[in-house]
Amino acid sequence: MSLPFICLCVLVFCALIAAVRIILGPTVWDRLLALNMISAKILIAIVLIAALTGRSFLLDIALVYALLGYISTVLFARIVRDWRDRT
Amino acid sequence: MIFWIAAFLYAIGLFFIFAGLYGLFHFNHFYSRILISSKVETVGFMAIMTAVIVEQGLSFFSLKVVLICLLVMVTNPLATHALVRSALKAELPLPEDRDG
Repeated sequence: MSLPFICLCVLVFCALIAAVRIILGPTVWDRLLALNMISAKILIAIVLIAALTGRSFLLDIALVYALLGYISTVLFARIVRDWRDRT
Repeated sequence: MIFWIAAFLYAIGLFFIFAGLYGLFHFNHFYSRILISSKVETVGFMAIMTAVIVEQGLSFFSLKVVLICLLVMVTNPLATHALVRSALKAELPLPEDRDG
């Protein structure tokens, strides 16, 4: 039971709580905000797994994941702007 | 000594992440929610990354962690800004009362 492992377990719990907001969210922007938070938590989880196992190639995956999360959030925000019914 | 500094930084990061989760469910409007959650999320991320750097020491590993930290420091506010701008352009109504 090292420190990153405990932090990892708490983060999985936090991501599950944030997923409730995706189900509940009244507008589509609330769902996108919760998705953004979950993607940041997954990013922290990848870095913690890399620190636990000592494999530094996982950090390259984390870098690509950060870029993809940013691009997908901006793209969804631009697509959703033109929708008719936003629920 | 290094263990306790890292444990303190992990505790700060997890506290801020829990504060962000509380804000995600406490506020009842989108514009209030995005303010608290985005700022708090960035602070929690920085604290946990600093804890990883302190734990690992100065090496090639921690240099990559610093790169990820810099990338998120630039992109996370931009993503939040894009979300709010999309909501404003699509005319999501602003809340009526100020204490919501």
